[in-house]
Amino acid sequence: MTSPRLAFLFVTPALLFLAAVLGRPLLQAVVLSFQNVGVIGTTGSWVGFENYATILGNTAFWNAFGRSALWVFANAVVQTIMALGVALLLNQKFPGVRIARTWIILTWIVPTVVVVIIWRWLLSTSGGMINPLLIQLGVIDRPVGFFATREGAMATLVMINSWRWFPFTALMMLAGLTRIPGDLYEAARIDGAGAMKRFTRITWPLLQPTLLVLGIVGTLLSFNVFDVIWLVTAGGPSQATQTLPVLIYETAFKGYRLSEAATISVLTSILLMTFALLATRAMTASEEAR
Amino acid sequence: MKRTLPQSFVLYSGLVVVLLIIGLPFWWVITGSIKVPREIIARVPTMFPQSFTLQHFEKLFQSTDFPAYLVNSIGVALFSTVITVALALPAAYAFFRMRFPGRAALYRLILLAYAFPTIVVLIPIYGFFAKVGLIDTRTSLVIINVAFALPFSIWMMRSFLSTVPREIEEAAVIDGAPARVILLRIMAPLIAPGIASVAIFTFIASWTEYLFASVLIVSDARRTIPVGFAGIIGQYQIDWGLLLAGATAATIPVVILFAFVGRWFVSGLTEGAVK
Repeated sequence: MTSPRLAFLFVTPALLFLAAVLGRPLLQAVVLSFQNVGVIGTTGSWVGFENYATILGNTAFWNAFGRSALWVFANAVVQTIMALGVALLLNQKFPGVRIARTWIILTWIVPTVVVVIIWRWLLSTSGGMINPLLIQLGVIDRPVGFFATREGAMATLVMINSWRWFPFTALMMLAGLTRIPGDLYEAARIDGAGAMKRFTRITWPLLQPTLLVLGIVGTLLSFNVFDVIWLVTAGGPSQATQTLPVLIYETAFKGYRLSEAATISVLTSILLMTFALLATRAMTASEEAR
Repeated sequence: MKRTLPQSFVLYSGLVVVLLIIGLPFWWVITGSIKVPREIIARVPTMFPQSFTLQHFEKLFQSTDFPAYLVNSIGVALFSTVITVALALPAAYAFFRMRFPGRAALYRLILLAYAFPTIVVLIPIYGFFAKVGLIDTRTSLVIINVAFALPFSIWMMRSFLSTVPREIEEAAVIDGAPARVILLRIMAPLIAPGIASVAIFTFIASWTEYLFASVLIVSDARRTIPVGFAGIIGQYQIDWGLLLAGATAATIPVVILFAFVGRWFVSGLTEGAVK
């Protein structure tokens, strides 16, 4: 209906902006990874693949990689379970359902720093609510330091991050649930299928495409989480929660090894892109097979 | 369809559990901000405040830079929002209502922005901003926020644009209206909920952004809430009353905003997801 020239006029500002602010720095990160720049603002010389050799032979990198994988996986499991439960609830009719569907996302709209303060306080041993609560429920018999052990710190961070994100995930799942035709449930009910059977035979299989998309998007989103980790544990105790973004940040802005940080980011990007590409391909393939 | 008694029980007890998981932490923090210090760190926490004081808010607004952080955050978020909408609306319109060569490829390229770890961009951007004198300016944060919100915003507009019948545009074209007029006078009002969704998404994303703000801003007076507030955590011997007051004060603006446009935002989010 309209000329391509006009369409270009409409997309060009956005494209130029993205190219300048995201595209160019991305390419520069690649350039930086082949140089030996230390402190920001200084210049370096070309070193070929030296940084890549250093990083790939560095146990700190592989440990952070493992933690990132664990982080993404644990967040996916916890958030999927919580979000699916909530999405099923919000898919019902009850008074106030609209208000519930809107305000459920409260944990996601407040600044991360607020989330951090909420949980640091609630989990603290001086005045925090969680320790007395757990003691009263009989789960523990004396106050525990949630960030004191390596495993404890990681698990607690996963819970905090999941608390922030599960409502968002739940709303995405709800969108998938509302797309399942109601007649399917009616028909199943007439055939005498119980609630459990209706879930395993209708809801679960028909929700697969939504879950798959969320799996991909969620992986990228959780992988990138930096502020919650940084502000709660700063990667500790003794690197137990140092995921790849934390490692990159520390390498660049605490260790002043800019080129090495760039190298880790390039390797990370390759990893994420490969994942996104393979996952999307698998998804389109399964959609075509349907 | 009618629910049986056990089904109702499951539904309502489930809702109560969710309400507690989400609401209780906020309740504790907000009520904590008006408790006297002694009650805040009491060994047996109180569910309902037994004392009332505004001393933490007084300290927050009088002896910390919090008021400046608040103003900076609102300013950065507002500018980011306006610019994002101005760039996303025409781009989304072109992507989803017009034809031009390379459309599909460019759209995919834009979404690729989210396949990279955000931190990759930080290092080169710092060097670039240092060269052009943008370090330690709030403008630098606006630029960053717009860039990260833009791809998602364009994507989110899609479902709203597709709800507008083609006939409306065609009639306008036949009447000889230029595309600019069609976009601003005809489409924009029809997809107002979409524009609101994009606006609130950008506002929230800018309001919570920490990583870039922590590196690009140097002077305390130019900090936004996430970074300035995180500084307060480390600066003082942990003063929970002050931090709880700050958390409450940082939450209120987004809650007010959300009370007006939250419904649109959630529908924008969910409708975009199923398309």
